[in-house]
Amino acid sequence: MNRSLVIVLGALAFGAALFCGSYAAGQRLCRVCVAQPAGSLDWVRREFHLNNAEMARIQTLHENYLSQCAAMCRIVTAKKQEVAAVLGNTTNVNPVAEQKLAELAACRARCQSRMLQYFVEVSGVMPPAEGRRYLAQMQNFTLGLQEGNAQSTLEPAGHEHHQP
Amino acid sequence: MNKENQNPADARLGALLRASRPSPSLPPRFPESVWRRIEDAAAPVKPESWLDALAMLVLRPRFTFATVAVLVLAGAFLGAYHGTQAARQDAQAQYLAAVAPAALR
Repeated sequence: MNRSLVIVLGALAFGAALFCGSYAAGQRLCRVCVAQPAGSLDWVRREFHLNNAEMARIQTLHENYLSQCAAMCRIVTAKKQEVAAVLGNTTNVNPVAEQKLAELAACRARCQSRMLQYFVEVSGVMPPAEGRRYLAQMQNFTLGLQEGNAQSTLEPAGHEHHQP
Repeated sequence: MNKENQNPADARLGALLRASRPSPSLPPRFPESVWRRIEDAAAPVKPESWLDALAMLVLRPRFTFATVAVLVLAGAFLGAYHGTQAARQDAQAQYLAAVAPAALR
């Protein structure tokens, strides 16, 4: 093979490896350095530029909400199991199954309503502009949850609260 | 000048020695050919193709060091930027997972 071709191809391969290696090292280093512990509210603090007093109030709201949310999630999980038990014994949707499904939907609606209320309370602690931004993001997220309900109901139930 | 060269006997001896060792005659246009070879050796090598030119450029230490530095810095900065973005998204996902657990979804 032509010597010049070997040199050029070798240089290209070396350059590509060098760039990829530097990229991977930089990415991993930053991801590890910037990573926050599970359940931390640091993302809210940084993203919405909050001071210590605001964060203390949000922390209280957050803990209060999490305890209520955990209780509601246990109810939702129990309702899911009831629905599964009723549907497991039949090949069609009978009135009992319909009633259980309505109860599950009502539980979910209460959870989402409480979640929205929590978002409103947290946004009220923030400076007005940041609060509006936070609320818009969280409302979009909640609406996204509603759209995804049908698909994710099939997943096994699990409680994934990350207590601070 | 030293004194030995001023001795007439030594001068005669030197002439005899030079006569005893005759130097061969130089080929025609010898000085011109010597200068031409010196000029050819000093002139930069002209590459035969663009690939040779590129290979010569790659082998230059100054170009190589500069390219390596640029690639390392560019890769590290781009990786750091994307790593920061990914960490921010991870943190957002953690917060959302905390406030909207899997049982709700």
